[in-house]
Amino acid sequence: MRKFDSLSFLIFARSWGIVILFAALWAAFSIWGMPIFGTFTNFSVILQGASIGTIFAAAIAMGVFSGVLDLSVPGVAALASVVLAKCLLSGVNMWLAFALSIAVSVVFGLINAFFTLKGLNPLAVTIGSLSVTSGIAALVTTGPPLFGFTPMDFIGSNLYFGLPAMFYVVAVVFIVGTIFLTQTRGGTRFLAAGGNAEALRRSGVNANVYKVLGFVISAGLAGVAGIVTTAYTNEGNPAAATGSLFTGLTAVALSGISLAGGRGSLPKVLVGSLVIAEITSILNIKNIQPFWGIVITGALLIGALYLELTIQQQVSRRVVQSKSAANNAADAAAKSAQPSKEA
Amino acid sequence: MAKTSEFALELKGIDLYYGYVRALNEINLQVRPGECVALLGDNGAGKSTLLKVISGAHKPTNGTISVHGKHVEFHNPKDSANAGIEMVYQDLALVDAQDTATNLLLGREILRKGLLGMLGFLDRKAMKEEAKREVAHLGVKIDTLTRPVEMLSGGQRQGVALARSAVRVGKQAEGILLLDEPTAALGYEQKVMVEQMIKRMIANNIAVVLVTHDLPLAFSTAHRMVVLNRSKKVADVETTKTNNDEIVGWITGARPSMEGL
Repeated sequence: MRKFDSLSFLIFARSWGIVILFAALWAAFSIWGMPIFGTFTNFSVILQGASIGTIFAAAIAMGVFSGVLDLSVPGVAALASVVLAKCLLSGVNMWLAFALSIAVSVVFGLINAFFTLKGLNPLAVTIGSLSVTSGIAALVTTGPPLFGFTPMDFIGSNLYFGLPAMFYVVAVVFIVGTIFLTQTRGGTRFLAAGGNAEALRRSGVNANVYKVLGFVISAGLAGVAGIVTTAYTNEGNPAAATGSLFTGLTAVALSGISLAGGRGSLPKVLVGSLVIAEITSILNIKNIQPFWGIVITGALLIGALYLELTIQQQVSRRVVQSKSAANNAADAAAKSAQPSKEA
Repeated sequence: MAKTSEFALELKGIDLYYGYVRALNEINLQVRPGECVALLGDNGAGKSTLLKVISGAHKPTNGTISVHGKHVEFHNPKDSANAGIEMVYQDLALVDAQDTATNLLLGREILRKGLLGMLGFLDRKAMKEEAKREVAHLGVKIDTLTRPVEMLSGGQRQGVALARSAVRVGKQAEGILLLDEPTAALGYEQKVMVEQMIKRMIANNIAVVLVTHDLPLAFSTAHRMVVLNRSKKVADVETTKTNNDEIVGWITGARPSMEGL
């Protein structure tokens, strides 16, 4: 009975660790960062700082859930950003420009999917398209960032009800994504394709459709991240998304999943991203060198994955133990019953 | 459906060469609806290979396969599935992070009614109830249908995989079920559960081919025993007309092959 209790504790820690970490850091930083950290204004600033990174985290998370680590996300976002800026500068309607940016992103998602399904290693394919998209983005701008187009503050630096506009974009992405993953047939199969595509195939479902969907959603969200970045900074910058891969991946790892695919929850990725943002915030408030933030992000990535691995091993060991204990008991019972049967 | 044969599954003269190695040597096999045939033999005797031929994973070099009297040719496992043959593999291919109901109903999820259904929204409650019904019908004991299957014991996982195939095969008119070592690595109670499930499927007029090393399981469920030894069929007898020693003799090769196979 005690064994089972510690098992459920481990599962609890894996499921809710990130929320507890967020709350604990919040409490600690509120005291340490008095009187600034705990204020609503600072909360809003944290959200503003976290928003773009959180959309990147969603892009990477959706890839990871479907079983693929999509490394092309920063490049695709940069390309979407310069495509948007270029369109606006040449007088294209803003909404059409949004659609074009997303379309270009999705095309690269399809290219990633095509070569991966042909049997190439997805890491290699997505690194390749990272390079291709970053290069094209730089070529389009011919170097320095593009600026001077119509401001898009309504999804950029505006505040609504005291909260940054970008965070409403984040909210839409995460709510739609979560409903898709948890409530729909497509989402269930999407996760199944990441967890065990063979199971899906044997159930008569074309698993490849969902693999392609993973790349497409990941690239599409990278496009959204590129658009929001452009709206916030008011420039189309081919180097806009450097570092987004690391914070995004760290947020995914902090949400308590291995990067093997098949599981995951977007709300926890959101909390993971907020943990990184609150650390950045306290470093700012305390006037500590921001490079520490990069160091801490890397350490958190490794630490979170290691913790997940440890918990996973503990859980499977306990499940096996309790199982074999039950089996042994049953076998012993069967053996003691046998002689009397033969007699 | 017009019946053209008394056999659900009939193999005639199946040969399979891997390069110069003859993995299967003129195998004949018949299984009637509602009959369980145990396919026995030592490691490397060819039983798994034969199962792969039936499930469409391997194409035989020579020989014919008929399903309910109709000649069929399988180019891949999907062809075999379309012909009403369902295979439960040793690796169970479950989606670990998802619960029993989801695993059981994978590929035939129940959607909500109305607009939400058209958008692909799942009716989780109905799925849970359907899963509960199917699992109860098959006599599988699973603690909770909402727990991820990675948290289930080996027997329960086997139960979920078996149930998934059984439900699919049960939807076909007189389906054929192939089982590859369904009790490997199971405890006593769980073996009993699998045994009962097999019996239920036979009672539902499903033809079962059971590959196993577990002779007690074979004796308790199979109507007929087929023994392979070094890629040849050496015995094909009714279970009631043989005994453990004879079967072991055929498996090890200590006993000469039966005549007229």
